[in-house]
Amino acid sequence: MTPLAHYLIFSGILFSIGLAGVIIRKNIIVVFMCLEMMLSAANISLVAFSRAQGVNGIPVYDAQVLALFIVAIAAAEVAIGLALIVAMFRARKSVESSSLNTLKD
Amino acid sequence: MESAISSILFYVFAAAAVLCAFGVVAFRNPVSSAMNMALCFGFTAAVYFGMGAQFLGIVQLIVYAGAILVLFLFIIMMLDIKAEEHARKSFPLACIAVIIAGIFAGFVTKVAISLPGATVGECPAIVLCESLGDLAPGSIAQKAATEGLAPYGSAMPELSPAAAAKALGADEATAAAATAFPDTKLLGQSLFTKYNIPFVILSFALLAGTVGAVALGRKLRKD
Repeated sequence: MTPLAHYLIFSGILFSIGLAGVIIRKNIIVVFMCLEMMLSAANISLVAFSRAQGVNGIPVYDAQVLALFIVAIAAAEVAIGLALIVAMFRARKSVESSSLNTLKD
Repeated sequence: MESAISSILFYVFAAAAVLCAFGVVAFRNPVSSAMNMALCFGFTAAVYFGMGAQFLGIVQLIVYAGAILVLFLFIIMMLDIKAEEHARKSFPLACIAVIIAGIFAGFVTKVAISLPGATVGECPAIVLCESLGDLAPGSIAQKAATEGLAPYGSAMPELSPAAAAKALGADEATAAAATAFPDTKLLGQSLFTKYNIPFVILSFALLAGTVGAVALGRKLRKD
């Protein structure tokens, strides 16, 4: 099987692509999608460590439980974030991130 | 033979997931981004299955690709988001973002490679504990040898159904005859005994999320 480092590098690459997406994209919904990809990437590294620590024949399930909690919290966060985006759309009639400029000079 | 195919499949699925992640960032149409994100989550779930985390793989498919993604598509369709105009893309910002992302990926790679034992296939936590003196050096390797597991030092320790059956409370005879690895049962054993209270608190968090989403999404009547 593949060593642990390769799983961590895969998780890091996915996280950094999501980070680049959050910085580059102007559409708030796509920014939010890239944010969810970052959370998913962190989950991969958790599960990889859980499996790597299982030298007795079974993985150590604490990290997988944490990954499950992260998935559930991500779902709740998406619900609230999308409700916020809908409220923003009703106020500004646009989903560009540059339309939120009332605090700008 | 089996582990060779398994590791080849990991690289295939990981490369496909990275390509789909690029697709999320690159496509201008938000529906294309969402479809690419669905594929990315699907390939990530395939990586989970390859690691033996079957429950988390299914949860990834059901919750991420099946619920979160559909929520995104609902909102995109409801607000009727059009594709971004290409005049808006600014090249200097894209360069800065690629540099920042590259620096972060470089950090993670450096840390992942320099974890003691990670590239060889030993568990970094155990190597660290041995070097700090908490574990007697070689005790885990000896234990693995006496229990008949794969030699310690092979990449990603093998899963043994016998050890899983013993952890679930079976006796020696039925444990030796076990063939399937009961990933969900072991995860449930940990989730509902050790992490029972956080699990209940998580349900409160989901309730708060639901109430918050309904409250934020209301149309305010201007009375």
